[in-house]
Amino acid sequence: MAKIEQGNGLDLRSGTDKLTDNGKGSSYVSDPEVNGVPGETQVDKYGFTGGAQQHTGKFAEEIPIEVLRQREAKWLEMLNSWDKWMAKKHKKVKERCQKGIPPSLRGRAWLYLTGGKVRREQNQGKFQELDSQPGDPKWIDIIERDLHRQFPFHEMFAARGGHGQQDLLRVLKAYTLHRPEEGYCQAQAPIAAVLLMHMPAEDAFWVLVQICEKYLPGYYSTGLEAIQLDGEILYALLRRVSPVAHRHLKKHKLEPILYMTEWYMCAFSRTLPWASVLRVWDMFLCEGVKILFRVGLVLLKCMLGSQEKLKACQGLYETMELLRAIQPQYMQEVFLVHEIIELVVSEKDIEKEHHAQLRRWKETHGDLHCKSPPRMHGAKAIMTAEPPSRQDLRQRPTIIVESPLAPKTVGEREEDAKESGKTEEEKQKKTIPLPQETVIPYRLPTDPSPPLKHVTVQGSKESLSSAEHDTYL
Amino acid sequence: MGSDESYNFVFKVVLIGESGVGKSNLLSRFTKNEFNHDSRTTIGVEFSTRTVQLDNYAIKAQIWDTAGLERYRAITSAYYRGAVGALLVYDISKHLTYESVDRWLKELFDHADPHIVVMLVGNKRDLDTLRTVPTEEAKDFAEKRGLMFMETSALDSTNVENAFNEVLKAIHKKVASREVTRGSICAVTLSNPTSDAQEGRRNCCKSS
Repeated sequence: MAKIEQGNGLDLRSGTDKLTDNGKGSSYVSDPEVNGVPGETQVDKYGFTGGAQQHTGKFAEEIPIEVLRQREAKWLEMLNSWDKWMAKKHKKVKERCQKGIPPSLRGRAWLYLTGGKVRREQNQGKFQELDSQPGDPKWIDIIERDLHRQFPFHEMFAARGGHGQQDLLRVLKAYTLHRPEEGYCQAQAPIAAVLLMHMPAEDAFWVLVQICEKYLPGYYSTGLEAIQLDGEILYALLRRVSPVAHRHLKKHKLEPILYMTEWYMCAFSRTLPWASVLRVWDMFLCEGVKILFRVGLVLLKCMLGSQEKLKACQGLYETMELLRAIQPQYMQEVFLVHEIIELVVSEKDIEKEHHAQLRRWKETHGDLHCKSPPRMHGAKAIMTAEPPSRQDLRQRPTIIVESPLAPKTVGEREEDAKESGKTEEEKQKKTIPLPQETVIPYRLPTDPSPPLKHVTVQGSKESLSSAEHDTYL
Repeated sequence: MGSDESYNFVFKVVLIGESGVGKSNLLSRFTKNEFNHDSRTTIGVEFSTRTVQLDNYAIKAQIWDTAGLERYRAITSAYYRGAVGALLVYDISKHLTYESVDRWLKELFDHADPHIVVMLVGNKRDLDTLRTVPTEEAKDFAEKRGLMFMETSALDSTNVENAFNEVLKAIHKKVASREVTRGSICAVTLSNPTSDAQEGRRNCCKSS
């Protein structure tokens, strides 16, 4: 829907009745990249300058910085011996994902959780190869039409032809080359965009591949059978979770495909406030599709789960409208995460219902046209199916600084703190100088690699306009 | 969206056509008088309503919008259910989007009510300098197929009101001529005159 959202009262690209050029290039008004006028746009901590998903600060879960630092240290430890943690302490990994991955490590954690890291290591040079090809013009044409239509209120994707949109093209194009029989499906764009907000193009590509192949196989393929089936599974599970809601949907013949399509195909990235999107994705990439089912069930229960709520809902259309305007308190981070964790819906429940629905489907539609591989229910399943070597999991930093045991200059500490995908607020946080007595939490455990040395920083090849270097300390 | 408004009829109208032709902006222009160069890609179903006065009747137009990409046609039967009107949209500056019109018509006739009112809409008329579909050609095509026809611009509003109003009028005409029976609670459907054609009460849709 072309809603014009005015974030903070600023008139950002509100295209109402503005006649512009033929849309072929120049973005207008306060485009930070083009005009370079600072201070005109207010960016929230996630990068949004406006829109419905912009951070309001209301109901936000603010983690104290000491806690955040501790979590970062724990995550660094986990990432450093990922296979051991996943094999022996997976429950702990899951818990930490449920608590929310620290923003500074989210991109890297997602890369590891999804097995994208392993795919990347096992296919070195592959992305570059795909990236260098022109791609099928049919897909390129459609993808290009979508580049300015993903999170247009996010500063990364606001500028037409900006590096965010360029990277989006690269990732989506690479996917169509990687899976030419699948090509491009529009819902892949928001998924890729969310990934690009946290990691460079090559990593985003591999995580996208994993999501499309392992987490949500068939979702983006011709026929969209997988999504329809999941819609039926959602509806069937609802019967147990909220009989009132289930009855209402049945009565008004509101088919799942009319309300759950965008939810599932975009993994709720277009539905929830941003803080909640990130928490859901942390859990989804750890535990698999059951998280998406739980979110859907919670929202349906909250909006349609009582007679009181249904009073306003006289028919199919009114119900759809209600589901399209979920009340903020139900989508709020703390509430939603709690409900998701508490809801007793397991992989077994989903698989069981999947079989039942598949049977029903075959009776009415015949065999599936698109036979996707079975889905993997999360990080552990992926890893178990294809155990990686230690080499595959090794972190390969592109910036190496002197050993943390030596006292640091402020400059070096700032260098330490720089990471990809950061925003203004995080930058400010990171320049707080550490007191000398504090044990620097980034000390790495004993490691067979040689002592760290200063090396020349290499510019990242991945990001096209690289004022910042990606950091993988 | 006005459950406290009173209206005599609710007409469900669907927007169809290739990705990027401007369906979502036609919707927002008509129902909210808004246009956005960067409106999000439609995934799933979007919808909005607007109540208009036609003759002496208040008609609530329930406009539905969905993804245009080929792939999404697999999930359209729920989308078409109960639709009494359709705007089949192409982009006058992209000939390929006009060439797909036959395919869309086929889909309409496979999934939608046979009596559905269809208007062929050439959108983006503001891009006249980049035109690749001559008006006369499209007009002839529409006539041959028994479709209404109009060129619009969601960007500068040209003919947007007209297009929707004409479709609603045509639907109303069919309703008035008794080619209709009542469908679900609030929507009017068109169907075979074999069913009960006598329409007594017409203000079925006053919300309770």
